[in-house]
Amino acid sequence: MRGGSIPLLIWGVLLGLLMATNWVWTGDSIQFGSLAFAILVIWLGAGLAAVFSRRESLRRGPPKPRLTREAIPTSSLGAALLGVSSAAILFGLTFGSFLVLMGGGLFVASLGLIVREHRHQRRARLTATERDGSGRF
Amino acid sequence: MAIQAPPLGSSPSRSSGWLGAFTSTDHKRIGLNLGIASFVFFLLGGAFALAMRTQLASDNSSFMSNGTYNDMFTMHGSTMIYLFVTPMAIAMAMYLVPLQIGAVSISAPRIALTGFWVWLCGGLTMESGWLTDSGPGRAGWFSYIPLSNAANTPGIGQNLWILGVIMAVAGMILMGGCVLATIMRRRAPGMSVLRMSMFTWTALVSVFMVVGAFPVLIVAMALLFIQRTTGMQIYSGFSGAIDYQNLFWFFGHPVVYVMFFPYLGAAAEAIATNSRKKWFGYHAFVMSMMSFAALSMTVWGHHMFITGGSFNEYFAFTSTMLVIPAGIEYFDMAGTLIGGSLVLRCSMLFALTFFIQFLIGGLSGIWVASPVLDYQANDTYFVIAHFHYTLFAGSIFGFFAGVYHWFPKVTGALLRERLGKLQLAVMIIGTNMTFFPMFILGREGMPRRIARYPQQPGWQPLNLVSSIGAGIIALGVLIFLVNVLVSLTRRQVSGDDPWEGQTLEWATTSPPPPLNFERPLPPIKSYTPLLDLRHEAQDEARERDRQEARA
Repeated sequence: MRGGSIPLLIWGVLLGLLMATNWVWTGDSIQFGSLAFAILVIWLGAGLAAVFSRRESLRRGPPKPRLTREAIPTSSLGAALLGVSSAAILFGLTFGSFLVLMGGGLFVASLGLIVREHRHQRRARLTATERDGSGRF
Repeated sequence: MAIQAPPLGSSPSRSSGWLGAFTSTDHKRIGLNLGIASFVFFLLGGAFALAMRTQLASDNSSFMSNGTYNDMFTMHGSTMIYLFVTPMAIAMAMYLVPLQIGAVSISAPRIALTGFWVWLCGGLTMESGWLTDSGPGRAGWFSYIPLSNAANTPGIGQNLWILGVIMAVAGMILMGGCVLATIMRRRAPGMSVLRMSMFTWTALVSVFMVVGAFPVLIVAMALLFIQRTTGMQIYSGFSGAIDYQNLFWFFGHPVVYVMFFPYLGAAAEAIATNSRKKWFGYHAFVMSMMSFAALSMTVWGHHMFITGGSFNEYFAFTSTMLVIPAGIEYFDMAGTLIGGSLVLRCSMLFALTFFIQFLIGGLSGIWVASPVLDYQANDTYFVIAHFHYTLFAGSIFGFFAGVYHWFPKVTGALLRERLGKLQLAVMIIGTNMTFFPMFILGREGMPRRIARYPQQPGWQPLNLVSSIGAGIIALGVLIFLVNVLVSLTRRQVSGDDPWEGQTLEWATTSPPPPLNFERPLPPIKSYTPLLDLRHEAQDEARERDRQEARA
């Protein structure tokens, strides 16, 4: 995590300079708004990373080793169905409302599946941590 | 340390077979699925191009109607941009970035999988327009207002096109976000941001643009869809048309760089590896990538020079500024080649061709970055030639450099070098035969997007040469497919590191295991950890020899 936010912040500053130039030169609100949105997204990413890493992502240098166990999912039917159902809802806007309803149902079901998968993943991590004893190694 | 969570319900069938392949959250599987699907779309988009070139081979051909030609150029551009070149760049990043930074997995793999499915469904939705009475979208890949409103382009096909674009772009944002989070969160111990490989840097700046610029297109398309289906006048009059163009090109120009940077990274990796030395000027490369990406977010107005609604001086200034970071890339490439022990493998040859061919596109870009010159060239074949030299002659050669470089890592088998070199030769001939005559046609004023052209002296032969060239490109792609087939059926085992690679993906098995690395990672002291290891071993051997000689 260490240093992860720095490229985003630098890039955001570069983009900010160009946005300021654009504003001074053109004064166009759509152009300013689009650039401001991009900067906001990038800085939001950097900020969230800084918060979750307790400012570790703002420090320079290489990351340290991870000391905690992590369970990584191998497959996710829920995530695949979530994608298909979102697409079905959108496709239904043109093709027919029945598809919107079916997609909506599938969307809810896939969210349920994902919640189950998350619980399963958490259990796997806890089991592995218990097996390690202290959970740190 | 990571463990694999067993699939839900501990059912092994969930993670194997067809269902497993399409529900896998392994970044390598998602990257491969995305890459294969987008390559299929490439073949489809290529077929549309061949159909168009067949029509244009003679001045008054009756091969297809004007309406069908409109369908063809719209779907050719849309398929290539939304469904091939951009997603293929993301697919390469999805597969390679975690390996290059020493991560066991991608961040938020479920979101990446959802993104893949949303993108795939978007592609199918876009192409499903062919099955409707009105045909697919026919207002061009940028669907300008008022051409794309309900009165001028009626029918469900255009609506499906809009929805397909929204889905495809949303899927790419989700996948791009995962790549970004992976680089931020999952770098191996020792892997500081200034020790990341060139490809990872190009992927990083590309996903900056994906998450920063792509959402604006979703807004633009959603508003267009609402206008078409409800009759609300969102983009009305001159200012509405200009607003749409601003929103569209805010996505439309950065996407050009998303379609370029990762292939530049692939070519840089291939050149450094095959020169057997470090990439020259790494820090300058990183800085130039950052400024290149930032500048490319503020040049979109050069697509609107002739509208009268753009601030031409500002956009001409920023567009011309692009030559500085681009020049640094070329300087670095030359610096890497000078003094290197060059090995002219296919990946190296494709990478060198990438730089040379892209140079033609880049230099003609300086021409169209000038409003005065662009007034003459706009909407002519000159522009077609320019962007095909950047996106086809540039990106595709970079893509093949990457394919020849990393194919052994992905499959454990080597591609045939002879077939590869034949493919390269055929593609160089085909590409230049197809696109160079377009510069001349454009200079003589042949407009783009016409199915039939007037009998001007010289136009028909040049168009014929261009059409023959398109067929030769198709032959090159066919040779590549044969090469893949032969290499996978009669495998020449590659081993883990056939090229003496420099970056971490070559420190694992080919193909990599589920959690990427079974062996401990080598110490990471620079952006070329494996090259450092080899150099250390050589230094030790030299020192030993010296001591023995002294003794």
